[in-house]
Amino acid sequence: MDEQPQQELPLPFPEFSGDLPLMPARMVNEYQYCPRLAYLEWVQGEWADSVDTVDGRFKHRRVDRPGGKLPPADALDEGDRIHARSITLSSNRLGLIAKMDLIEGDAAAVTPVDYKRGKRPHIAQGAYDPERVQVCVQGLILEEHGYRCAEGMLYYVESKERVRVPLDDELRALTRRAIDGLRFIAAGGQMPPPLEDSPKCPRCSLVGICLPDEVRYLRQGRIEPRPLAVARATALPVYVQAYKARVAKRGETLEISIDDKKVQTARLIDVSELVLMGNVYVTTPTLHELMARGIPISWHSFGGWFMGYTQGTGHKNVELRTAQYRASFDEPTCLRLAKGLVAAKIHNSRTLLRRNWKDDTLDPKHLLDDLKRDQRHCARVDSQQELLGVEGSAAARYFGHFDRLIRASGAEGALSFDFNRRNRRPPADPVNALLSYAYTLLTRAWHVTLGAVGFDPYRGYYHQPRYGRPALALDMMEPFRPLIADSAVIQAINNGEVRPSDFISAAGSVALSPDGRKRFIAAFERRMSHEVTHPLFGYRVSYRRLLEIQARLLSRYLLGDIPDYPNFTTR
Amino acid sequence: MHEHLYIVAYDIADPKRWRRVFRLMKGYGEWLQLSVFQCRMSRTRHAELIALLDGIIHHNHDHIVLMDLGPAEGVKPRVVSLGKNFEAIERAPIIV
Ligand code: SF4
Repeated sequence: MDEQPQQELPLPFPEFSGDLPLMPARMVNEYQYCPRLAYLEWVQGEWADSVDTVDGRFKHRRVDRPGGKLPPADALDEGDRIHARSITLSSNRLGLIAKMDLIEGDAAAVTPVDYKRGKRPHIAQGAYDPERVQVCVQGLILEEHGYRCAEGMLYYVESKERVRVPLDDELRALTRRAIDGLRFIAAGGQMPPPLEDSPKCPRCSLVGICLPDEVRYLRQGRIEPRPLAVARATALPVYVQAYKARVAKRGETLEISIDDKKVQTARLIDVSELVLMGNVYVTTPTLHELMARGIPISWHSFGGWFMGYTQGTGHKNVELRTAQYRASFDEPTCLRLAKGLVAAKIHNSRTLLRRNWKDDTLDPKHLLDDLKRDQRHCARVDSQQELLGVEGSAAARYFGHFDRLIRASGAEGALSFDFNRRNRRPPADPVNALLSYAYTLLTRAWHVTLGAVGFDPYRGYYHQPRYGRPALALDMMEPFRPLIADSAVIQAINNGEVRPSDFISAAGSVALSPDGRKRFIAAFERRMSHEVTHPLFGYRVSYRRLLEIQARLLSRYLLGDIPDYPNFTTR
Repeated sequence: MHEHLYIVAYDIADPKRWRRVFRLMKGYGEWLQLSVFQCRMSRTRHAELIALLDGIIHHNHDHIVLMDLGPAEGVKPRVVSLGKNFEAIERAPIIV
């Protein structure tokens, strides 16, 4: 083989100082599989389980039990046999730490044995490079400790086969290059690009975080993204809004009771978040369990006002938060993002009007043209102040005609909602009350999504981070207000899911009754599960999942991975 | 990442282990009848459940079977149910 001589950091490595953590040898394996994977896991602290990782842990469990002894190399006598399980060794010179499944051998030489799930692959070299490299790292660390080591061994659990891996010069060189490469990217702070249309990605547990095809597509506009990131999220929110309800963990489930009577149980594995409205009681063990599982709990007043949320120790991705803050101090970046968000919102508002227009007596053409003009205007503004003005006039146009999307009164079961213009605090009519409530739900959904992706929801680009407002959540939700919230409101009214009798009015303000609220939450969640075709990527995806993809794309933009943040618009 | 429907049935020789299995199963599916559960799981969940069950049971005394009824979405499992209705687990948000 014609090996290109490539630049290498000269060995020996500088000693790792106390400040830098030792890298697990597994990372060298990941690096050899895909440098971006190692970066995501090691530098950004991302983790996601897949069948492979779950099953891998399971298959490993037996070898994880420590057993046998590994005497120091200089204490070994001729005739001593070594058989030691689950031994952790590190090398400061290599900057690596490895947990070795099994070490066998004697005074003459030792062999690290690494357990792999699955069957032995039938390829010329006996095993794939990432696995060969990983066992070679173990060999190198053993040598650092004074043992002699000429080969490693891979044991494939499923086919019960061993594959010898000679630690020859070629493999050692490959391994050193991988170690150098890993140290380089860890120090460099620049995420390696995704693999190109690689068969490795569908098997990669981080594919939904990495977005390899989407990033490639947005960088080069060439390949059609595969729907790898779309995998349906199986967990869904649990809302508790009933008066005097209590939530307690019981085994692997949450039990919700009212007046000491069990009314519902939810399997913890199926819960994506717990939403509590009003005076709901939650036990401490429940809070602990939810935090340990990374399930956020959001707290709302009885009327739905979002008061805050509880989360475990939070996301490890400091790099992302740093990039988020840095960009927020840069005015041109703020303006650029803000323009895109507002333009997309106007676009989506216009689409909603066009699609749901119910009034035959009025042709919406002028209105749609005006909105188109507002949308174009966004691109030309050169301050946030001006942008606010454009947004305001577009919103006035839009809400000025919102009642024409509501099925006329007199239709069976549907009574009329009077609605003239948007008013908020307090909402003065049922439609405004529904809109406000829907925005609260959507803000929460964005808040939780952004937190889970590693953002700080409170620092944004368009909204000012004042008065405890989750500015980034409000920013990101702009284009989705018409698509998710307004649309859920129209559907709930037009389908007769909420009726005028579901509202309680007092002192000039109107609020949803508990029962009406329950039905409206269901309508909202149905909208969140609705699947749309992504205009850029061509695949179908639920809004629920889309929010996460958009949040990740924003992170890719802020970290310099893609040239622009692509807003979501529908046709 | 599509989910399948499973029927999980178990025979556990020891009452203490039986309770542990029962408690674990409640976290993964719906109790159908004595020592039989219905579960709706992705491949990852399936792998997880097997790993956990395997950690509890005694391989010489206990027995667990997991039967795959096929994709949970859209496909109606062919099940005959007498006495009571068999309803496949739906995926929906919980609102109390
Ligand atoms: S999805 Fe593909 S490009 Fe992204 S980390 Fe995994 S293997 Fe690498």
